[in-house]
Amino acid sequence: MSINKDQTEMLNLLGVKYKLELFSDVPKSVRKSSFRMNRGISEHEVLLEARSNAALNRGPEMLNFLGNGIYDRIIPASVDSIVGRTEFLTSYTPYQAEMSQGVLQSLFEYQSMMCQLTGMDVTNSSMYDGYTALGEAVRMAYRINGKTELLVPECMYDGKLQVIKSYLEGLPVKIKKYAMDAGTGFMNLDDLKSRVNGNTCAIICEMPNGLGIIDQNITKVQEIKGEALLIAYVDPISLGILRAPGEYNADIAVAEGQQLGIHMSYGGPLLGILSFKRDYIRKSPGRLIGETVDVNGKRAFVMTLQTREQHIRREKAMSNICTNQALMAITAAAYLGIVGPDGLRKIGSLTYKNANDLGNKLRGTKSAAKDQLTGKSFSDVLIRFNSDQGNLQEKLLRKEVLGGISLAGICAPVEKTFPHSHFFSVTEKTTAAEIEKLAGILEGI
Amino acid sequence: MPFRQATYDEPLISEMRSGSTYRIPGDASATVLKDLPGEILRKDLKLPEVSEYDVVRHYTRLSQMNYSVDLGIYPLGSCTMKFNPKLADLVSTFEGFSGIHPLQSEETVQGSLKIMYELQEYLKDISDMDAITLQPLAGAHGEFTGILIVRKYHEDRGDLGKRTEIIIPDSAHGTNPASAAMCGFDVVEIPSGPNGTVNIEALKAALSEKTAAFMITNPNTLGIFEDQITEIAKLVHDAGALLYYDGANFNAILGITSPGLMGFDIVHFNLHKTFATPHGGGGPGSGPVAVKAHLKDFLPVPVVSMKDKRYFLDYSMKKTIGKVSSYFGSFNMLLRAWSYIKYHGWDGLNENTLDAVMNANYLSKKLSAAFRIPYKPLKKHELVLSTEGTGKKALDLAKYLIDQGVHAPTVYFPLIVHEAMMIEPTETVSKADLDNFAEMLLKSLEVEEEELKKMPRNLSVGRLDEVKAARDLKIRWD
Repeated sequence: MSINKDQTEMLNLLGVKYKLELFSDVPKSVRKSSFRMNRGISEHEVLLEARSNAALNRGPEMLNFLGNGIYDRIIPASVDSIVGRTEFLTSYTPYQAEMSQGVLQSLFEYQSMMCQLTGMDVTNSSMYDGYTALGEAVRMAYRINGKTELLVPECMYDGKLQVIKSYLEGLPVKIKKYAMDAGTGFMNLDDLKSRVNGNTCAIICEMPNGLGIIDQNITKVQEIKGEALLIAYVDPISLGILRAPGEYNADIAVAEGQQLGIHMSYGGPLLGILSFKRDYIRKSPGRLIGETVDVNGKRAFVMTLQTREQHIRREKAMSNICTNQALMAITAAAYLGIVGPDGLRKIGSLTYKNANDLGNKLRGTKSAAKDQLTGKSFSDVLIRFNSDQGNLQEKLLRKEVLGGISLAGICAPVEKTFPHSHFFSVTEKTTAAEIEKLAGILEGI
Repeated sequence: MPFRQATYDEPLISEMRSGSTYRIPGDASATVLKDLPGEILRKDLKLPEVSEYDVVRHYTRLSQMNYSVDLGIYPLGSCTMKFNPKLADLVSTFEGFSGIHPLQSEETVQGSLKIMYELQEYLKDISDMDAITLQPLAGAHGEFTGILIVRKYHEDRGDLGKRTEIIIPDSAHGTNPASAAMCGFDVVEIPSGPNGTVNIEALKAALSEKTAAFMITNPNTLGIFEDQITEIAKLVHDAGALLYYDGANFNAILGITSPGLMGFDIVHFNLHKTFATPHGGGGPGSGPVAVKAHLKDFLPVPVVSMKDKRYFLDYSMKKTIGKVSSYFGSFNMLLRAWSYIKYHGWDGLNENTLDAVMNANYLSKKLSAAFRIPYKPLKKHELVLSTEGTGKKALDLAKYLIDQGVHAPTVYFPLIVHEAMMIEPTETVSKADLDNFAEMLLKSLEVEEEELKKMPRNLSVGRLDEVKAARDLKIRWD
């Protein structure tokens, strides 16, 4: 144990010789005596080890057709530069508002941009990720109407459904599924309608849905939802070209914000976007940043309506969330600021075009099934093959291609309705040559 | 020269008009959306239209109006705002980590899985627990995960119907009762004893066959070590309940003792506190949860395991609570914590704890003549003082401090101390800065109240009208 001159002075003031004497209140019976880990090493050695571990990973050098929620999109260099500012990176929650206007205004801008993007009245200042935000949205719906049945699409990813189930532990809400149309890939409105009743708390609709399809039926759900709330789970990039959930009367809109300038990083940190109608503010979880003025009348920003939150309301709080994803929210704001409305429209359009091109190409290959979904894909293109492809992801990997996630692997319950189906996802990065190459490889497998 | 924060009359980005300059590859104008029905297409998209250079300047100016750990002491109690090593920043930018998709096959992510596996082992070593999940995304999310495990444990024993209560001390973080309630439990709050620790008699009275768990942090939010912890553990276990460790204050005990040795069944870590991952102005955090062997089967799936030197995502937990977040945890934060632990090693981590506790006690001693510091004088990582009796409000003193260019402590928490200031200096503050901080806080007592009310004046804005923010609610631009 090291002691320098300053520390000697400090210990003298405390009347002890060794720092360890300050732990006289820790009983001997619980003292820790050993570690399995090693002693510390130099920065250089940590870097070398980190590099060699990074080199064990593969992927960035390959053709990438992975998606299903997380995408390898273009991130403008300025985004990393902005969020790398250590004033943002190394600050805490803005409890002292006068000293933290940078984070507060940035988050206010994030909230505002997300409202513009989703067409909703209010967006909170972030949740952990898309799935947990969806879980919180369902809890919020239950607080709003107290009803006990949740309707979800049968093609919702297993992982997403599992997270919702976790968030519903302790609430009397039961999950029921509605069917998808096997021909179009749209939600089956008749089936949905038959399941809506006086106990329906909320209907979750995904756009694009779990089959990757731009589900035009979502605009009609408002006509059949009755007193239930419509929770729309949307792809934020798709909102560059597709109707905003606010325009089809969604009550709550949820999205995974990773595509808005955040690196994939093996799935975290991500960004949960939670937007809703103004009437529901008091039932909503998470932090809200509000505009106010300082003593001199200057515009300023501060955390507001904190009486909904755990540090004040404790067990009666709307949620237990405290730390959120503030830095990721600032990332999304910086991204949208740089990309702008025209850029987002183009990114959305190009993604859609690439999905179309890839779909047309792959559906023309010899192993593709005759009947394919007729609905249009946005970025995750589901291809039905005419036979079991085995572990397609593995086979493609041997050709230096990432992709071919099986529908059965991420959404087991619909395997029978949509057999032998695999996903290939695109972004604005995807090129015609890459699509061509993928088709060639699939022909050869 | 007094401190001055950078001050700009910075517009909202929506008020800037330089026009977008962003370009995407290829010719997007050739794109046709004609196959889609009109009713599903967006007619109008309003977002700011600003040049890239203006966006960078805008957020750079905003960043300059924000205090951070890189600027100095940030002594928020229970937040453990220690220096965030640049080494970890650098590692997190390696494309071999940042460019990895979560649905890639195990074969292609051996490097990431190795980092996660090693971090699991380190955290188990540090805590003397037997199994761990890295999936929870923040401290409160770890609590949520832990309490779901409590639920499942009692359910598995056919006991959930009657085990409906979770006991929590009145000094607990607000997340504890909120997490318990979120998982459907009734919260039973017990008062602290005269020396600030758990009142054993109150605990005995509260424990019953209805008790599912007792949640505490040790040291508690008063910075006092719960020295009767082994007795507490026995009482809780004898009642058939589980003992939950809120790891927010782990920096106070690392290497000295551990939740495992103290008898805890479940523990969450806050990697953004104890292991110095940056808190990003409010998040991301990371809240791994470790358990004793008898709860291993309840962990969320997957965890990372190793067989024949090959790492894999292990879904074998038979009684798993399922999943609590999208993928495997906040990998980038896990990577940073791995770097921090690798760098410091057990010896460095332990030394950090010794220094953090020395610093807190040093400040406590320096401030004890001027302020009432209730309960036991021997502190761990933080101290809680009361401004009662000084004639000054904690809030006013906080505004004085920020006006001098240092961050204020947490104020008005824990709730059991009136006019509380909760101060956690951490180990990464020099004696000179501690002296400076103490001196400022002492000096603040000499400032007239009327003068204090006018503060801050050296920051980008003066004191804010928080009532107006709630009353004339404006949470987006028009």
